[in-house]
Amino acid sequence: MWHKGTPGTPVKPLALQSLDHSQLYQRRVQNLLDEQNHDIEESDKFSPTTGDYEDLSEHSWTDDRNSVSSAVWSSSQPLSSSLSSNNSPPLLPARTSTMAKQSSQLTREDARSDVHLIGNRITGNMSLGNMFCSRCGDGFEPHEKIVNSNGELWHTQCFVCAQCFRPFPDGTFYEFEGRKYCEHDFHVLFAPCCGKCGEFVIGRVIKAMNANWHPRCFRCEVCSKELADLGFIRNQGRALCHECNAQAKAVGLGKYICHKCHGVIDDKPLRFRGEVYHPYHFNCASCKIELNSDAREVKSRPGFTSNEMNELYCLRCHDKMGIPICGACRRPIEERVVTALGKHWHVEHFVCAKCEKPFLGHRHYEKKGLAYCETHYHQLFGNLCFVCNQVIAGDVFTALNKAWCVHHFACSVCDQKMNQKTKFYECDLKPVCKKCYDKYPAELRRRLRKTHEATPKKASV
Amino acid sequence: MNQAPVSCIPNSKMSKAKKVLDEARSTGNPELDLMEKGISSFEEMPGLLNMANITRLTLSHNKIVDVPPGLANLVNLEILTLFNNYIEELPVSLSSMPKLRILNLGMNRLNALPRGFGAFPVLEVLDLTYNNLNEESFPANFFILETLRALYLGDNDFEFIPPEIGQLKNLQILVLRDNDLIELPKEIGDLTRLRELHIQGNRLTVLPPEIGQLDLVGNKSVLKMDYNPWVAPIADQLQVGISHVIDYIRSETYRYLFSRHVSVRGPPPPKYIDKTNKLSRNRRNL
Repeated sequence: MWHKGTPGTPVKPLALQSLDHSQLYQRRVQNLLDEQNHDIEESDKFSPTTGDYEDLSEHSWTDDRNSVSSAVWSSSQPLSSSLSSNNSPPLLPARTSTMAKQSSQLTREDARSDVHLIGNRITGNMSLGNMFCSRCGDGFEPHEKIVNSNGELWHTQCFVCAQCFRPFPDGTFYEFEGRKYCEHDFHVLFAPCCGKCGEFVIGRVIKAMNANWHPRCFRCEVCSKELADLGFIRNQGRALCHECNAQAKAVGLGKYICHKCHGVIDDKPLRFRGEVYHPYHFNCASCKIELNSDAREVKSRPGFTSNEMNELYCLRCHDKMGIPICGACRRPIEERVVTALGKHWHVEHFVCAKCEKPFLGHRHYEKKGLAYCETHYHQLFGNLCFVCNQVIAGDVFTALNKAWCVHHFACSVCDQKMNQKTKFYECDLKPVCKKCYDKYPAELRRRLRKTHEATPKKASV
Repeated sequence: MNQAPVSCIPNSKMSKAKKVLDEARSTGNPELDLMEKGISSFEEMPGLLNMANITRLTLSHNKIVDVPPGLANLVNLEILTLFNNYIEELPVSLSSMPKLRILNLGMNRLNALPRGFGAFPVLEVLDLTYNNLNEESFPANFFILETLRALYLGDNDFEFIPPEIGQLKNLQILVLRDNDLIELPKEIGDLTRLRELHIQGNRLTVLPPEIGQLDLVGNKSVLKMDYNPWVAPIADQLQVGISHVIDYIRSETYRYLFSRHVSVRGPPPPKYIDKTNKLSRNRRNL
């Protein structure tokens, strides 16, 4: 008797998928080749090989879309899952070939088989006598349940996973190289693992960088953008999106990437609001001329670090804007301005003419249009007091090729203090007050007078 | 000039100096002005040599003959002015004064300097103008005064300057006006910091070419060289200006002229300054 719906042997149509053996082989060989060619292919352009996500029933085997050479995992929905909604197993992949020509030997029917329990409906020349189990080759007892899968017949105890010899859970099996596997073993044996998360890849498989990936796991290593549909570029063992690769390449060449068009900036970049650009993306804020790299970013609020308000001007307009120009480097001063010697200076460019160290707010001394630090001013221009031989801090008396602190200016004979109003005589370029000079012997005064005939003998400070 | 004996000091003069000293002692003023007080001896300034705090002592226009060795007790003295006195000799101890920077001995009657006079530790300005000094007056080690920046030797009797003058590395001012100099040592060219050189009123005919190494033509430099019997080329350049003289003595032409001049040197030019009436001579002439 043919029983129908016996408990324990669910009467369910089973999906059967098959995989072309030669394709798996080819894929493995291809992987090996990829690994060998790894170095050569560095930074070459790649497109990820991707499989379609469509159900096999909708899959066109002669379609040339998957022209990339390698196997693709496609998911196909087992028929069982269409029957049981909530408890259905996850979408199961089936190995198929993407090479249309080679896969042509596969038929749709091969990939999708229904398994029936043969019931009373067996008709025609089908009789128990010429039916044999596909596994053990033995015949069938009358009333014995017979599994019919795609025309092949099995004892129920023979219709088991080729790996674990257990019945197929829910009747779902996967066929490969003529053998049938339960879902678990099929995955363990044949399903690809994601190169990132290590999980089985079910559904669409991205083959790239000598590994398989979930589409959501295959991302640009720099910006984490999903690469499955964008394509990628291998750069030193990394998969990068086109933008990141261009940037990495430019950095390697010491060049900048335009923040706007993401192209490499071959000439001088234009810096604007903290980013670099091709100058030609901008126009002068004043005369609207297309900018070149001479353009200047003008801080609308000088001294503030925020640069959102900055504007770009061509050099010509910029120089007309009244921005002070440094007297040393001839460049505009956008930070602190030092005004001295009738010019403006960058703080760091206002330096001693002798030692070239910036004054940085320290006192400077001016002489003939040049500025000097205290030390070098006195070293060069000798403003050491003749009496104390120290640098003269305050006001200076200058006379007779010498200098004095105001309080050290005195008659060289009697040491009495003199001021700028005191009349004094000169002897050997030393100041002599009138009182002392009058005490000089007459013959000396006569000689001194003679010597000074050409020049006035009285000098005032 | 009336030379009163030391013993006959009028009381008024003595009290004048004393008053200044008393005042300085009471106020603690470290600067002593005692010029033109008729002082002829340090004895007229009782207690002065114990005032170790004073930094300046001015005794110009007095009649001091002897400087006591005890003056060196004033260890804080920085400026000592003895201009226009009758000093003939100085104590050896003077050069040991540890802080003396400016020493003015101008217009005295010094014929010689004491031995060890170069030992001043910090002397910067030494004025010996208008004395009776000559090349024999310098003690052997005089030119070790490394700190000296001004040396005034005008109105003295030098005919030569010792070549050791080149050791005064810090010398900026050298005054040799109105001496009897016949020649200058080439070592003056070693005084790299010299910016004032007064050699007017001497008997110089040529300058050592080494002077050309010095910066004496800058706007901070002075070279006074009039009133000398210069050889014609120098005299001609001097007519045009000091810078022309310097340019000339830097030339090869001048080097040649100089070497020839030195090798066939004739008798020195006569002294042409009559110094017999010099005040510094008076004592000797008495």
